[in-house]
Amino acid sequence: MSRRPYLLAAPATLLVVGLLLGPAILLVRISLCAAPQGRGFFTPGTWTLENYRTITDADGLQRVAETFAFGLGVAALTLAIAYPLALFIWSLSPTGRRLALGLVLLPKFANGLVLLFGLQQLLGPVGPISQAIATFGEPPLLTRNWFGALIGETYLIVPYAVLLLVEQLSRLDANLVLAARGLGASRWQAFRRIVWPHSTPGLWLAGELAAIWGIGAFLGPMILGGPANATLAVDLHRQAFDYGRWPRAAAEAILLIGTAILALIVAAGLRRWRAA
Amino acid sequence: MKILGWLAIALLLAPFGYAVWISFSPDTFLTPPTGSWSLRWYVEFGENRRWSAALVRSLTTALGASLVAVSFGTPLAYAVARHRFRGRRIVASIAIAPALVPPAVLGMGLLPFLFVVDLWGSPIGLILAHGLLGLPVVLLIVRSSLDGQSPDIELAARGLGASPWQVARRVTLPLIRPAILAGALAAFVGSLNEGLVSLFLATPSTETLPAVVWPQLRHAASPLVAVASTISAFAAALACWGVAAFGHAARKPGPKHRGEGN
Repeated sequence: MSRRPYLLAAPATLLVVGLLLGPAILLVRISLCAAPQGRGFFTPGTWTLENYRTITDADGLQRVAETFAFGLGVAALTLAIAYPLALFIWSLSPTGRRLALGLVLLPKFANGLVLLFGLQQLLGPVGPISQAIATFGEPPLLTRNWFGALIGETYLIVPYAVLLLVEQLSRLDANLVLAARGLGASRWQAFRRIVWPHSTPGLWLAGELAAIWGIGAFLGPMILGGPANATLAVDLHRQAFDYGRWPRAAAEAILLIGTAILALIVAAGLRRWRAA
Repeated sequence: MKILGWLAIALLLAPFGYAVWISFSPDTFLTPPTGSWSLRWYVEFGENRRWSAALVRSLTTALGASLVAVSFGTPLAYAVARHRFRGRRIVASIAIAPALVPPAVLGMGLLPFLFVVDLWGSPIGLILAHGLLGLPVVLLIVRSSLDGQSPDIELAARGLGASPWQVARRVTLPLIRPAILAGALAAFVGSLNEGLVSLFLATPSTETLPAVVWPQLRHAASPLVAVASTISAFAAALACWGVAAFGHAARKPGPKHRGEGN
């Protein structure tokens, strides 16, 4: 066996392992430290489980549940928007397909912070959407709640999901659909029996990615949610930067990773159950 | 159906368009310019040292991150695509991990880590962090390009007496250059617009655009925020155009290659 592949793969692997493992070890250690006394961000040299107790009390567990549910919501909404859109883009001519994909990805050239700011202005109480609804009656609050947070975070993820799903669909031989139609299948039957089974691997992957990114959501809840809509990521930022409580923030970071892993395990179980 | 599809795409573009529109506002508030348009906030952006310094830092960080991602990611992609070795799948999954770790966790972990390794307050910390985030993208793009090309061409070159280094430089790299450029571009744009790890790692001497935009969004937002986004989106588009033009120029046979056949 040659050493060459190892030499080629080593730099990147060492970079990733170093920059993930080093911080991970520090996070675990800091999460076991006592809260800062006076100055500093934590009390070095102390060992305590206090931070884990704090973040798993009733409020803490509710935050975990909300974060998990938020991730599932983001995944569901992302697929509900991205899949029809991907089918539409797939049905276009090659030129139209490239143009449409380019337009879908265009917002990704702008800063996420500002995109969500634009979305906040559009959805906000004085924005055009609320104003339009107001001509008919009292408009519902579209921001500063979970709904706004969900829309915001989904907005950031949809372009990637569309890209992934179009990529998956374009690997399907379009002649199969034509053949099915020629053999007498209705449009719905052709979709249900050919396009849909071919899409499911892409849908699973896009759904899982959206769920993980949704569970780690920060910008959506932060900019379009209210103070009460704090996911784990939002709260850990608050703990670290507004209150200077690094140990608690570190413990929450570890809890967040655990929640994301839980989502992956649930997804793997669902996949196996669907396949059986 | 067709109209509905294009309408959905237009809706997805609306927040972006709105932000660009606001940037031309003559007012102090974040309202779209209804009557007259103004470049007032662009002038302000250029004159304000904090904002323009942050823009320059964002651009250099993005450049550094894209170099890191490409120089580490390309050899890895080659190893994974062309060699069968023990640990190949593990190595490939490890390199995807940065895309799956929630950025808030990455930021929270890198914060004390950079303290410990004494990179706190140095631009290298953020460059490495963003390079890490760009690595999975480079791996995916370059690997799929390599998968799409027959390894026989490389074998033929070897058979004709080229050294492994010559094969890499004269055969493989020219073939995958478009993919490498695309990966570099994706890493560049991703870093330019990354707003969360940057937020955790910002110090007054190393703050990039998101770190300056952030307190503005939370407290008193001025159209400078929209200007910042428009300019960085423009820089991203410019980078795309540059890569496309460069790729196009590279495809034409230059005078150097023409005589080499004989």
